[in-house]
Amino acid sequence: MTVAEASPLELLRSHHPVGASTGYMEEIRGDWHQLAAGAARVSSLVVEFSALSEPELDGLVSFLSKNPRLPFRYVSVHAPTKKRTVPESSLVEWLSHLPRWVSAIVTHPDVVHDPSAYRRLGRRLVFENLDARAPEGQLTELERLFESLPEAGFCLDVAHAWSVDPTMQLANELLDSYRNRLRHLHVSSLDPAHRHAPLTVEHAAAYEPVLARCRDVPWVLEAPLPAP
Amino acid sequence: MTESPAGALERLAEATDASFPHLFAARERTEDSLRDRRQKLSELGTDRDASVVLMGSWGRRELTGESDDDYMVILNGRERTDPRPRLDAVRRVVGGGERKPGAEGTFDDYVYSRHLAERIGLDRDDNRNLTRRMLLVLESLPAVGEHAYHEARAAVLDGYLDVSVRDFRPPRFFLNDTVRYWRTICVDFVGKERERGGEGWGLRNAKLRTSRKLLFASGLLPILECHKYTAAGMRPFLEAQLAAPPTDRVADAFIRHGAIDAGGRAFEAYDRFIGLLHDPPSRRSLQDLSREEADESPAFAEARRIGRELEGSLLSLLFETDELRALIREFGIF
Repeated sequence: MTVAEASPLELLRSHHPVGASTGYMEEIRGDWHQLAAGAARVSSLVVEFSALSEPELDGLVSFLSKNPRLPFRYVSVHAPTKKRTVPESSLVEWLSHLPRWVSAIVTHPDVVHDPSAYRRLGRRLVFENLDARAPEGQLTELERLFESLPEAGFCLDVAHAWSVDPTMQLANELLDSYRNRLRHLHVSSLDPAHRHAPLTVEHAAAYEPVLARCRDVPWVLEAPLPAP
Repeated sequence: MTESPAGALERLAEATDASFPHLFAARERTEDSLRDRRQKLSELGTDRDASVVLMGSWGRRELTGESDDDYMVILNGRERTDPRPRLDAVRRVVGGGERKPGAEGTFDDYVYSRHLAERIGLDRDDNRNLTRRMLLVLESLPAVGEHAYHEARAAVLDGYLDVSVRDFRPPRFFLNDTVRYWRTICVDFVGKERERGGEGWGLRNAKLRTSRKLLFASGLLPILECHKYTAAGMRPFLEAQLAAPPTDRVADAFIRHGAIDAGGRAFEAYDRFIGLLHDPPSRRSLQDLSREEADESPAFAEARRIGRELEGSLLSLLFETDELRALIREFGIF
């Protein structure tokens, strides 16, 4: 389906599988049962449980460790990148206790100081590209991390790539470099404050050629589905 | 002239900057071992209408350190009591020790190609006959008796490509039997679990998610592609396709339908699975694994992840490329 004939909602709904990040469900933050139910209402196939702030992680690990009967076939966890207090090695130790059926543990390259500490996460570790506020040299930094952690995967945050380069050349370069590491996508628009927002017509049009290269991996929505 | 998919995996590796080291190493291992087996089997003496056919990982060119020697002796002529080579002589070359073929009685036997080609459907086409036929077509290679092998495969193809085949439409009979085979494997997986009390559950489950799925796709894709040919053109097309390893057939489809990125990821995942099977501790860990222990096993977690990645790529090829989407919708379900 091309953008010429599809609304942003149709573009997203035409993909399989698609799912929600709990990160945008602000009003029920911390209630993991409710967050899982909220994500399942978007899609029962894919979810990303977002514990962006470190204080959220304890509750999430506790929730997942009880092996709740979740419907999702692909479960990702976004590791804390904000309000970090515990030492890096302790955080990784904590993350390593996530059940093995958690397929991906996403983190940001700029919070990794000792790559070797992350080795124990193996293939579950996934690095996400950052938005235009990140310091220059993102590609170099990702390259360095993948050299240290050859099993790690890549999550293309399409909106972040667009914010750095609206021509989407960067997104294509990231895919050229890391296509065989790609595990899933983050899909949304960005508002002027760089907050994730529902996909707009303009962004859908800009993203479409990049999305077409990623038809086989889950797309995680970082904002509510756009209006019909 | 029909273009062969042979070499497609190399072309896909080049296009995606991938190396697929385990897959290419397994192909070399298969070729090396095949030379050895061929030399030994050629000393036994083989009837003109007979072929010793290797199947399973041999046929996929994916031999690993602990692969079984799945084989059968195909006979094209009349039924008889004294065919050559004798099975006990063949057993001294293939299928010995740890490489003993599967326990279902499908292999290590004489098989008349007439039964495979003429007994399609109904009670006479039992599970064993179906399995032998599909493996001969989808994942086999001749160790000795190459001419007889090609005759047997041609007879089976003729059994599918009968007068019901229409120009520019996938051959339904062949398609239905291939889909039936895949679903039979899936149903039998549970049957085996119940019959054997879970013995070998982990390895069978891992293979079902990966190599069995890829094998099904390697049959389904060429059959759907028959829509480009007249009825007369389908046979040479299918013969050229089926002569190549399953991984080449699937890689070829990814390339031809412009799904290069997804194809690279499919084989990056499948390559890891071949690496897992070739690693003795990982293979044994899967072999000994019960359903109850699965969630705690790193090897099984990796196999499950690989299976999901492979499935995602194959589904995107079938359902998110223009030509195949129309074909799978029209012919894949009903």
